[in-house]
Amino acid sequence: MKFKSHPMASAEMDMTPMMDVTFQLIAFFMMVTNFEQTQADERVRLAADALAKPPEVKLAHELVINIGYRRGKDGNKLDEQPFVFVPGEELRIPDFRNRLKQEAHLYQVKEVKLEDVTVVIRADADVPAGQVQEFIQMSQEAKFEKFALKAKQTVD
Amino acid sequence: MKFKQQEPANLQQQTTPMIDVTFQLLTFFMMTLKISSPEGDFNINMPPAGAGAAAVDQLFPDIKVRLIANANGGLANLRLGERSLGNDVNCFQRLNDEILQLIGQPGAARVKELEVEIDADYNLHFENVVKTIGACSGRLGKDGKTVIRYLEKIKFAQPRKNPDV
Repeated sequence: MKFKSHPMASAEMDMTPMMDVTFQLIAFFMMVTNFEQTQADERVRLAADALAKPPEVKLAHELVINIGYRRGKDGNKLDEQPFVFVPGEELRIPDFRNRLKQEAHLYQVKEVKLEDVTVVIRADADVPAGQVQEFIQMSQEAKFEKFALKAKQTVD
Repeated sequence: MKFKQQEPANLQQQTTPMIDVTFQLLTFFMMTLKISSPEGDFNINMPPAGAGAAAVDQLFPDIKVRLIANANGGLANLRLGERSLGNDVNCFQRLNDEILQLIGQPGAARVKELEVEIDADYNLHFENVVKTIGACSGRLGKDGKTVIRYLEKIKFAQPRKNPDV
């Protein structure tokens, strides 16, 4: 008796639906990833206001300054004095005076006018207002002219 | 002459490298994702030290908002000019209403010339200053998205070391 040999069924899986879903996931994550806030320090707990809208036009030159507290894992302050957080360093506000002058000098070396540079201050909600003002005064001494205060956007 | 029939070459594209890269991309975006609420800016003017003398010649006098702190840095009193607006949760809303009454019509040419001077105690928590700036800047429209601007020029008074509570 003769048996007809059947062709073997393909063992390859159809990858198309999986690829579709994967690309949709990538698209989603790309959309929600915020590349702009790379200079933001997570230790700073910003004050919130409904009117704090993201700027419509991107600032030409911005110097982002994070002012906040050292906090423990439970969120409590470890130190009563606020610090300026720079990558790899934590400086007291008065100690940042020299750094501001250095930043101003670097902008001038790059031929950027200081009047075109906005000092963006991300200050913790609990920082004394007087210290933020003093920081602004220090920036003025370093010849910076424009200032912006960051706040978290809330929905009423 | 007999020709041997050749099997057609496998035309199916090799998808494995693409899937590898796609999954690596997916992993990267999943790992780097940080869910954070959007941040906004408030622009402020800060007159250089010693510019106070020029205030005498101002055509439009500044609207003065005074923030008085308690010992813990909380808000003890919010004042618009000489008028006290309290320190409860609605005091910033009251300030917002008062500012609207002062300016009349938002967006008018005169309003664009007006400036708010925020005079806060040294130890006051900064969040109160942000809320004050928000209350002076305007309010959200009925759609919850449009911002109706009240005052755009906002500056700080010189910082005070010794609050005169």
